[in-house]
Amino acid sequence: MLLPEQMAKVLIVGSKDRLERTVDLLYESRVVHLVDFPPDKEGFTLGSPLPIASKTSERLLRLRAIEKDLDIKEPKVPEPLSAERIRKEIDAAIISLDSEILDVIGSKAKLEERLSELDQQKRDLQPLASLPLDLELYRDFRSLTVFVGHVRTDPSGVLQESLDQFEALTAQDGKLIAVFVQRSEANEAQRILMQYGFSEVSVPQGTGKPAEILNEIQKEESILRKSYEEVQVTLGRLREKHAAFVLASDEELGIEVEKAEMPLRAGATVHSFVIDAWVPGKNLDKLKEDFNAKLGDGVYIELLEVKNRKDAEEDAEEIGPEDVPTKASNPRPLNLFNHLVELVSTPRYNEIDPTSVISIFFPIFFGLMVGDVGYGIPFVILGFLGLRKCKSDEWRTISTALFFGGIFTLIFGFIFFGEALGMHFAPSPYGELTWSSLLGIELPHSIDLGLFSIPIGMFSKLHDVKILLYISVWIGIVHLFTAFGLGFANVAMRRGLKHAFLEKFTWILILTGGVFLLLLMVDALILGKPLIMTDLRMLAGAGLVIVGMAIGLKGEGAKVILELPGLMSNVVSYTRLTAIGMSKAGLALAFNSISIEMIAPGGGIMIVMAILVFIVGHLMIFILAIISAGLQGIRLQYVEFFMKFYEGGGSKFNPLMIRRKYTTEV
Amino acid sequence: MALEAGLIAIGAGIAVGLAGLGAGIAEGPVGAAAVGAMAENEKLFGKGLVLMVIPETIVIFGLVMAILLWLNM
Repeated sequence: MLLPEQMAKVLIVGSKDRLERTVDLLYESRVVHLVDFPPDKEGFTLGSPLPIASKTSERLLRLRAIEKDLDIKEPKVPEPLSAERIRKEIDAAIISLDSEILDVIGSKAKLEERLSELDQQKRDLQPLASLPLDLELYRDFRSLTVFVGHVRTDPSGVLQESLDQFEALTAQDGKLIAVFVQRSEANEAQRILMQYGFSEVSVPQGTGKPAEILNEIQKEESILRKSYEEVQVTLGRLREKHAAFVLASDEELGIEVEKAEMPLRAGATVHSFVIDAWVPGKNLDKLKEDFNAKLGDGVYIELLEVKNRKDAEEDAEEIGPEDVPTKASNPRPLNLFNHLVELVSTPRYNEIDPTSVISIFFPIFFGLMVGDVGYGIPFVILGFLGLRKCKSDEWRTISTALFFGGIFTLIFGFIFFGEALGMHFAPSPYGELTWSSLLGIELPHSIDLGLFSIPIGMFSKLHDVKILLYISVWIGIVHLFTAFGLGFANVAMRRGLKHAFLEKFTWILILTGGVFLLLLMVDALILGKPLIMTDLRMLAGAGLVIVGMAIGLKGEGAKVILELPGLMSNVVSYTRLTAIGMSKAGLALAFNSISIEMIAPGGGIMIVMAILVFIVGHLMIFILAIISAGLQGIRLQYVEFFMKFYEGGGSKFNPLMIRRKYTTEV
Repeated sequence: MALEAGLIAIGAGIAVGLAGLGAGIAEGPVGAAAVGAMAENEKLFGKGLVLMVIPETIVIFGLVMAILLWLNM
């Protein structure tokens, strides 16, 4: 459970005529992690794709074109189709689809082209529609120059003064003008017009009144739009009819291409192929049996070696890291936490996979930080719904954290703190607002079960700070001991006990010494007892720290001295478990007392307001709880915990397998 | 006594306040860089988070000091 699964390196060799069936079998087995065949190995070439590859790719290309024409976007996943049927029908289907769509797409393109043409014409004619001239009257003059364009204000007055003869027509708003002048005066006219911000409008070819032409265009346009809509509807119908099949075929063809191109990652000679792969040790026999049953002795699987963790380390030191893939071997519920580890890095093959350990510690930390029945219940419900509905890794991880964190929030909230929504159940000795005082009934301090009793509320987050801080430091120490223990196991597994002793045991000694000193310090600083230098704990603690440091100096060098304060700050860092609980309790207390005070004097609107304050306030704390408790809980794992032993940087076990969404294979 | 309690309260406030400020100053650039790195490679989220929250311990020290002071009030 703690270590990734043992991997075996295998060589799969066979004659080329069995390659296709080998590929199928490899994909079916789902346990083969392919290693790319080195391209420069003497006597071998890289394999070439299966013969069907090019034809399948071509089909896929045509299918994707159809997909684009039909504008198929990822809809809600339709009922999966049988892959067998697709294989049988695909060729005919592509041809019939093509012909069915071709006409529609063709007329759609034509319509689009004509519509944009009309649009352009409309834009050209629009300005001229406000002048009462036919189009042919703007051109073909021998002795006149025509200026048509927009001006800022009407220049007629100035034109009148400076030109001998001219004719000007303005639109009703005075912003568009058409000026007819003699050629000889064209320059002068242009100069004047420029002063009025003249910008020319080009007159399109054609004859007749612009307004009438526009009318015609609009008529044609509305007819075209109608047919365009009809085409769209037809396309929509086609899309609906074929979407499931097209998506399924796309998937099926994609799978076929992937399979057909797999030999590119294998080695080949003239008549045979060679595949390098990793297989989990426990699956190897089954794989061999399957191959034997289906392919006889035409394909041979040779076990090269079962990778031992220590060898993996030696190899990594000598020839650089060889990527033995890491396959987590956690039972299923723990797998939910796997992504939390993956976020930092994939564990290496020869290191302990910390998933199972953080799946215990993280929910406990989360529960301690929130510790409130009123928030725990929604956490559990949200987490449960999330696990049912969500598909993506990220959301599943968040849901997992909420679900298991919520369970511990409930447990700690009930037994440890005995509170819901920031109020204790049982009457408080400090005269606070409690559920007992609110409801007017006396809730018990514990539930008696005969042999033993379950306490409801042992501590108050705001009043028992001292003891809670003390507890959180102890939790930190347990966490750190676990981390060093795992580190010790890691080094021992890789390089032997001696190294583990020198590198990690020193820290276990130092931490043990630190624990003795802590006990002493708590007495001196918090309980106010005098500090006696010859106290047994002082001697034992200091002794252990010094011995640990001495071994560390020998094993790891001077960096031990530098890391010592770091260890102290690590321990103190766990006090956040209490601090965050306190801050949340403080906030809840504030909102509770505000809303109670609002209700107390008068009824009516104030009651509604008070309830509003109560709901908004607790919603805020609830969200803050997810963010702060979740993030801080994870941080304690990543920083304080992982840094003591975790290296990561492994490559994930990624077996050849087919994932189907739109198709099913019987 | 009232004066003493007031001074302790101010001291506690300074302890947690300045520590928070310090943590913030330290965390800001780290966070910005982490977001930048993540924009290039999403897989760096975990490492970015770890690096970003390292300075946060400073504020916990301040808080612990503040609590210890407050307990003496």
